[in-house]
Amino acid sequence: MQVLVVEDDAVLADGLRRVLGEHGMTVELLADGSQADLRLQHAETLAVMVLDIGLPGLDGYELVRRLRARGSNLPVLLLTARDAIADRVRGLELGADDYLVKPFATAELVARLRALVRRNAPRPSQLALGQLALDLDAKRARVGERQIELSAREWAVLEFLLQQAGKVVSKQQIIDAILPWGDDLTHNAVEVYVSRVRLKIADAGVTLRTIRGFGYMLEAGPPAP
Amino acid sequence: MSSIRLRLLKWLIAPILLINLAGGALAYLLAWTPAQLAFDQSLAEAAASLGARLSDEGGQLWLDLPALAEAVLRSDDGDSLYFAVFDGAGRQIAGDRDLPVSQSLHAAGARTRQIFDAVRLQQPVRLLMQPWALPARAGNTEVSHAYIVVARTLRKRQQIQQATLRALLLLEGLFALASIGLIWFSVSNGLLPLQRLRTDLNRRESDQLTALAVADLPQELKPVVHALNGLLEKVGDGAQARQQFLANVAHQLRTPLAGLKTQLEWLGARQSEAEAAQSVQLMLATTERMIRQTNQLLALARAEPEHFAATRLEPVALHSLIEQSIQLFVEQASRKQIDLGFELQPLTVRGDRFLLRDLIDNLIDNAVRYTPAGGSVTVSCLPPPGNAAVHGGMLVVEDSGPGIPPERREQVFSRFVRLDDRASGSGLGLAIVRDIATVHGAECRIEDASTGQGARFSIIFP
Repeated sequence: MQVLVVEDDAVLADGLRRVLGEHGMTVELLADGSQADLRLQHAETLAVMVLDIGLPGLDGYELVRRLRARGSNLPVLLLTARDAIADRVRGLELGADDYLVKPFATAELVARLRALVRRNAPRPSQLALGQLALDLDAKRARVGERQIELSAREWAVLEFLLQQAGKVVSKQQIIDAILPWGDDLTHNAVEVYVSRVRLKIADAGVTLRTIRGFGYMLEAGPPAP
Repeated sequence: MSSIRLRLLKWLIAPILLINLAGGALAYLLAWTPAQLAFDQSLAEAAASLGARLSDEGGQLWLDLPALAEAVLRSDDGDSLYFAVFDGAGRQIAGDRDLPVSQSLHAAGARTRQIFDAVRLQQPVRLLMQPWALPARAGNTEVSHAYIVVARTLRKRQQIQQATLRALLLLEGLFALASIGLIWFSVSNGLLPLQRLRTDLNRRESDQLTALAVADLPQELKPVVHALNGLLEKVGDGAQARQQFLANVAHQLRTPLAGLKTQLEWLGARQSEAEAAQSVQLMLATTERMIRQTNQLLALARAEPEHFAATRLEPVALHSLIEQSIQLFVEQASRKQIDLGFELQPLTVRGDRFLLRDLIDNLIDNAVRYTPAGGSVTVSCLPPPGNAAVHGGMLVVEDSGPGIPPERREQVFSRFVRLDDRASGSGLGLAIVRDIATVHGAECRIEDASTGQGARFSIIFP
């Protein structure tokens, strides 16, 4: 997964190279807007771009505008030091796909980049977290080497939680995700499915956290004692 | 100390009292002169009636005053009348002996009536000396002269004098009192606009730098208030420039902070040696604190009423806004083993979504930060009750932390104790909360948590 990072602050750019590299991404660094514009003439090999707004040469807005004018659909995540509404909205209007306000948590940056890439990529055939793995084609769930049995609804709930791993999801989001045809399901029913799933993945090295009154979050790592 | 009131009173009351006094004296004189004249007139009449009884018996003057006539003459109600008659040579021919008639008076050959105050036997009297010419008798060509002296004690005169004086004093006293009262009232009334101006200025918060209203002010105060408004504007501009500068600095800090944080996170992830890893974690925590402070400075600048445009208000679904904050706080809460819960009912308020997000974030952050590990924080969002006149919805954050004693509740919102935040357990975040609530016309309230332990922060929307 090749990422172009256009950032003129050398320390931040270097940090991004290290962090994204750590997550298996190939990082290409540029510090100048005009150079980046040249590089983007041939953007086919790139999976996603991290773009600072305040750049020497051409600024980030102008770069996005030119990129979209050329018809490229390369996903772009803007980095901005300013979070005034005008700044936030303008980049998105010009064709950027997401933005992050500096300073950010690297985990969040990585998650958002993955989400942007996934949007364009074909659906994966497997989801995994900790010891837990879902084979989406065969509809089989495993914890380590052991296979676990799930009902259709439990499977749908777990698949959604795994897709959204590391993110808080509300009960309503779960209902909307597992019932695409507008069937109705109560929040209580969701609680029942989740508690069954929780039991079945108890030893999978993942934590299914409950956010009281709102929803759940599935994350890597064993539950706290 | 110089006081306009004292100056006005001094310069009004003293002269008016003096004028009153002079007027009183004049009135006394005017009232007394005719009375004096009447007294003197009655003395002259007594003298004339004596003169009519004088006759010249061959060079010898003779007063024909029978006892009855004398009694009539002397009778006077309250006062005593004395008289004496002298011939041209100054010899007394009749009357009382002990009248204080200066010998030199008739010796000098006074030919005009004299009238003056004198003392007879230690008793004050009014004394009239009338030269008298007897008509010539047949056969005698020489006109004989006499002096008739009449004196009367002053009892009645003094009584009248005293009565006049008393009446005048009473009248003048009343006038003086009325004048002083009127002046006092007028001066106080005249100074009322100043008083109102003072009240208006005193009521202001330190950051309330809007111009004072000039329209209803008296002409004389307008230049002063205009000048004051000019000063307020300059101070406001200065404050805004400082705030702008602060915001710029904070923005400039964000990129280096992002670099620092990114590098430290990378280093922390691959540091296997425990001591070094701990050191990296400390650096990371410090960086986080700097980031938080920087963001709060920016949020504070954003919530400045001067920067707040009411036109930006739009219907905002508060419950959705809270949902967007949840992710951030779930991680923070799980690190501290805090049970973070939500009771979100649909609520739409009019507001600025970015500022409201700042408000929510700071309110939850404050609760999570100051609730001890293992505690709980509950965020609720309540629609208006059936009776919408009470409020237009509430955002409530309740924690199981140490709570805030009633006497400190006003203080924790203050921007001027914000940096000294450790002691009270509340910091800059609450100043931001208050500022944002204020520009939305919402009320901030702190109570004890409904469970009895902890604090309950309510933002009550209009």
